[in-house]
Amino acid sequence: MPEKYVIHTTTAPNRFKAVSRSGIIAWEEGCLRCAVCVKERCVYDVYYKRKLDPRQMIDSIDNLCMNCLRCVQGCPKELITKSLNPEYKEMGDDFFTPEIISKLWSQAETGKIPVSGAGYPGPFSGPGFDSMWTDMSEIVRPTRDGIHGREYISTAIDLGRTIKSLRFDDSGALLAETPLLVDIPLPILLKVPPFGAISDKTLLGWAMAAKRLGTLLALKIDDVEKLPDQFRPWLVPVLEEDLTDPAIIPVGVRIVEIPWSSRFEKSAKIIKDTFPSMLVCVNIAMMDGMEEKAVSVADAGLDIIHLELGRYSEKEPETYDPRRVKDAIRSVHMKLVETNIRDEVTLVASGGFAMAEHVAKGMICGADAVMAEFQLLIGLQCRMCRRCATGLSCPVDIQDASAKWVAARVVNLFGAWHNQLIELMGAMGIRDARRLRGEVGRAMFFEDLDKVAFGSLGSAGEGFELE
Amino acid sequence: MRYNNSRTLALFYCQNVPGAGERERIGLEKKYGLSIRFFPIACSGRLEPVHLLSALENFADAAYVITCPQGMCRYFEGNLRAIKRVRRTQDIIAGIGLERERVGIVTGLKEDPKTLAEHAEEIFDKTLQMGRSPVLDKGEANYDHCATEAH
Repeated sequence: MPEKYVIHTTTAPNRFKAVSRSGIIAWEEGCLRCAVCVKERCVYDVYYKRKLDPRQMIDSIDNLCMNCLRCVQGCPKELITKSLNPEYKEMGDDFFTPEIISKLWSQAETGKIPVSGAGYPGPFSGPGFDSMWTDMSEIVRPTRDGIHGREYISTAIDLGRTIKSLRFDDSGALLAETPLLVDIPLPILLKVPPFGAISDKTLLGWAMAAKRLGTLLALKIDDVEKLPDQFRPWLVPVLEEDLTDPAIIPVGVRIVEIPWSSRFEKSAKIIKDTFPSMLVCVNIAMMDGMEEKAVSVADAGLDIIHLELGRYSEKEPETYDPRRVKDAIRSVHMKLVETNIRDEVTLVASGGFAMAEHVAKGMICGADAVMAEFQLLIGLQCRMCRRCATGLSCPVDIQDASAKWVAARVVNLFGAWHNQLIELMGAMGIRDARRLRGEVGRAMFFEDLDKVAFGSLGSAGEGFELE
Repeated sequence: MRYNNSRTLALFYCQNVPGAGERERIGLEKKYGLSIRFFPIACSGRLEPVHLLSALENFADAAYVITCPQGMCRYFEGNLRAIKRVRRTQDIIAGIGLERERVGIVTGLKEDPKTLAEHAEEIFDKTLQMGRSPVLDKGEANYDHCATEAH
C-alpha cells in the first residue's frame, strides 16, 4: 500500500502507570476464606498478579481489573466494592474529560482505535461537536470493499492558495503561474502547546513525529534553532509580532505563520519578496471580527488562514470555551463562500479538537485541516493538570522522556486518528478528505433538527418543569 | 511560603475530606513542594498496611491517613477499618524498631470537620519534629538493633 495511505505504528508503553478509572475496595476483615473465593476465580488473575508502584502509589489491582464485576457480585460476604478513582475524576477540564484523556493515552500507547465493546452509554447530543452527527448511510460499503484494501481512501490535503481557473494562450501553454502547494497525507498539523513540561528532547520528538507523519509542526520561531536543520521542511515557525527583518526567518522552512494585524500585508510582502516559494499563514484569533479578518487575508492573496482558539483563550481565559469552535469555523467558512473566495485560500483551525471524530466534524464545518496542540502533551501521558503552568513539577516528568519515545507516541496517536478518519469517511461514502470540507450535507446538526421537530411548539421558559 | 527541609510526608486522604479537590491540592503542593506527597483515595478503607509500609520504605519519613469524620463514611465502615489497619501497621514498624508515630491516622469531627489544608499543616508539623527515617538514611541506620527488636 502506498505510504500516504498508511501510518505504521509500534507499541510505545506508558512510562508511568495510567490513572485508572475505578479502584477496588476490598475489605479483608470479615473474609471467611471460603472455598468459593472470588479472588481465586478472577479470570484475569488480578488478585494474584498484585503489585504496588511506590512512585505513584498505584495498585495493580486497579489497573489490571477489566471491570467485569464478577468479584463484586460473587463475594458471599459482599466484601468487595468498586469505586471511581478520585484522581481520575479530577483529570482534565470540561473539554478534555477524563474519558477523552484516557482514550488518547490508550491510542498513543497502542496506535489502535479504542474499542469499549459495551455500546455507547452517553447522551445523544451535547454542546459543540457533540451536537453534530455524521451521516453514516454508506456504512455497509466499507465491510464489502474493505476500507484498508481494494479501494483507497485518501486523507491527503493541500495547503496553499488555489487559482479560480486556468488560462492558456493559443499554443496551449499556461498563462498564469500555478500556485505553490504543500501536500500533507493527513489533515492534521501539529502545534507546540502553550504550556507543558517541554524540553529540547520533547521538541525533537515532536519534530521527528511530524516528519514521520509527513505533516508539519508549528512552533515559536526561537525554537526552530533548537532542532537539527534536517527537520526544517516539516516546521512552521510562528511569529508573535509583525515582521520587519526577513533575516530571522529560518532557511529551509516551507511555511511561516504571522499574526493578523493592521500591517500583516507588509509582513507577508517581506516574506514573499525574500522567499518567493514560501507559503504565508496568517493567524486569526477566534473572536469577534474574525470573518472580516479572514476575508482580508484571502483578498490580500495570502495562502493559509489559521483560525486559533488558543490565542483567544490566553487573552480572555474566563471566556475560553472550545465548544465554540464548530460555530466559529462555520461562520468564517460561510463568509468566505459568500465572498466567492473560499476556494482560493486554505483554512486551518485549532483549539477544540479532542477526538478523531472532531477532525472530520471540523472539516465538515468548513476547515481544510485542523491543528492539534494539547493532544501532543496528552499523548505523552499528560493529565492536563496544568501544574507546570503554576511552576510545579510535572507528575509524569514529560521533560525527561526520550525523543524516540515522544515521536513513537505521537505517531501512534495520529495513526489511530488516521484510521478512525478512514472509518468515518468510508461510512460517509467519501473517498477523499478534500471533499469533506464544508460538506454539511453529510452531517446533521442538533439545532436544525430541534428547530424542525419542535420549533412550532415554542420554547419553555427557564425553570419550566413538566407536571 | 514554600517549605524547604529534608522531611517527606506521605499523606493519604479520603476524597470526602473537606477541601480535598484538585485545586486545593495544587495549592498545597505549591506550599509544601516535595515535602508532602498527596495521594487521594476513594475511601480510607481502601488502604492496606502495604501502602503505608511501601511509602516508608521508598521515600517517606512518615505516612499518615486522613479519613472522613466517623459516621460519615459513604461505605459505612471504611474509616473504622482504616483505623484498625493503621494500628496494625504501627505494630509492624514498632517491631522493626521504628517509632509508631511515623504512621498515623487522623479522623475529622462530624460537628467541626477540618479541611485537608488544616490537617496537612498539623501532621506536617508533627513530622518535622521527628528525625529522618533510619530506613531512608540507610548509611546511618542501625540494622543490627532493628533485627534484635524484631526477634
